[in-house]
Amino acid sequence: MSDLQQEVTNLIYRESTLLDRREWDDWIDLYTEDAVYWVPSWANEEETTDDPELQLNLIYLRNRGGLEDRVFRIESRDSYASVPLDRTVHVVGNVLVTDEKDDEVEATANCIIHTYGKKGGLTRASLYDFKMRREDGELKITRKKITFIDDRLEGPIDVYHL
Amino acid sequence: MDGNIIADDLSAMVDDRVDEGMFRVDRAVYTDQKIFEREIANIFEKCWVFLCHESQVANHGDYFWTEIGRQPVYVHRQEDGSLKCFINACSHRAAILTPFRQGNAKTLTCRFHGWTYKCSGDCVGIKNEEEGTDRSKFDLREIAKLDSYGGFVFGSLNPDVPSLGDWLGATKTWIDLMTVQSPDGLEVVPGSSTYSIEGNWKLQAENSVDGYHVSTVHRVFAHTIAARESKGEYTGIKKTEAGRIGGGVPTASYDLGNGHMAIWAQHTTPEVRPIWESKDRLEKELTPAQVEWILTKGRNLYIFPNVMLMDNPSTQIRVMKPLAADWVDVSVYCIAPKGESDTARAGRLRKFEDFYLTAGMATSDDIAALEDTHEGSLATDAKWSEFNRGIGSIIAGPDEGAKALGFEPAACTDNWDHEVLYHGFYRHWLKMMKGEFRG
Repeated sequence: MSDLQQEVTNLIYRESTLLDRREWDDWIDLYTEDAVYWVPSWANEEETTDDPELQLNLIYLRNRGGLEDRVFRIESRDSYASVPLDRTVHVVGNVLVTDEKDDEVEATANCIIHTYGKKGGLTRASLYDFKMRREDGELKITRKKITFIDDRLEGPIDVYHL
Repeated sequence: MDGNIIADDLSAMVDDRVDEGMFRVDRAVYTDQKIFEREIANIFEKCWVFLCHESQVANHGDYFWTEIGRQPVYVHRQEDGSLKCFINACSHRAAILTPFRQGNAKTLTCRFHGWTYKCSGDCVGIKNEEEGTDRSKFDLREIAKLDSYGGFVFGSLNPDVPSLGDWLGATKTWIDLMTVQSPDGLEVVPGSSTYSIEGNWKLQAENSVDGYHVSTVHRVFAHTIAARESKGEYTGIKKTEAGRIGGGVPTASYDLGNGHMAIWAQHTTPEVRPIWESKDRLEKELTPAQVEWILTKGRNLYIFPNVMLMDNPSTQIRVMKPLAADWVDVSVYCIAPKGESDTARAGRLRKFEDFYLTAGMATSDDIAALEDTHEGSLATDAKWSEFNRGIGSIIAGPDEGAKALGFEPAACTDNWDHEVLYHGFYRHWLKMMKGEFRG
């Protein structure tokens, strides 16, 4: 395995581990200030929306502040949907580096997410499209697109379910 | 005979003694599967129900598959521009005819045995047709009634329903407040979301016009937005109108008759709403009351039995599909004025995503509250839910705002914390459940 492949894989593993262990501040630190976090909605049975600005998304956060909003809400303990907090396990696989240019890397991965909460156990899945950038020698996430394959959604969905 | 027994039981479940200061509902109305079956037959399959928006079937051949009660139907745009709605089942062996929820097909060929139907529903092809077959016998079954108001398409399986206009009644004035926002009408923005709620559909109906929960369930939304906006990254239209959530603004609630309900709350920062860019045009074209209601009042409208139209931080069609006493699927769409600027459209969508989705920061909390309410309603030892807040301050007929705008509610109060709008909802529900309303 190349050093880059290992570094990218480690970053993606680290993200899912921090989400599952609820280390929210460290999770946010994996993202650059200008990071875009995008979960399109399904436009029909086969395609998602593809213009995040002018079409409907499930989540579309245009900088790291959007992730901070989500963490603020979780940590407030005042969100009905987030108390008690669902337990989650992310299992990431199929990590592929798809492009590399100067300080920027693109990668894809798959994730199976098992959650346990009031409704019992649910298994869901996502396709990940990452852009990463090296800042002060450290690889960070600058864009994450999540294609959440579930269409009819069971229960509330937040950043730790995806 | 059985029918009478159930009808008597139902009457006892809505304890309507407003003169004595009491209106309460037996919580079994949410949890009893027998009652749910009756609702499908007597309400959803007897009433006008919302099907889709005209923009979702804009062109010849566009179809939209949905349900009336349990029955699959599809709306199909005809060659002459009119709409027809058919039972979505092949005349041969009942396979669903539309491969997708929404698509375009000028003819539909059943994927099971290859029978073909024109847009008009005429059966025009039978594979290996036998001699002497009368194909017209197999034309698709059109639903009894189809009509639209302001681009919102409704249908009914019941030929005896009143006209759509009579049925919608006072809600028409509220629908107008959305449709007049663009001279070109409204359109559904691409993308949607469907979520399942483990709870009764009436809890979702109540929640959609429940002002009282806002300052508790959505307090965290207001705090999150306040924290975000204090950082100064969000300015102008990118700001979210969260001022209503804390309370302390003028509000009102309306029983609009026929089970329809509505609330409004005054916006504290109307200038961050996407429609604000059209202020000058609206002031030229509309009455002062319409302009005031559009620009400054956040409005939630519930049209009995299955659709809600929201015009708040963003604009939404929310459609319910009841599946069991403890299960309702909800589909949400962003509806927007055609021709608005990209800035307004993007602002509208971002506010929608912040608040309205199960992946958003408010609807998710509503769903959790609804599911808890449903679960609590299983406690038959404490069986009554009271709807008594505001019972002493009911205004019969219109308030000043309604008079100025020109609609005639059955009753109203000057506070969205009040619960008397539900009286009309449950009275109408009871009437339909007992078969005492023709549509």
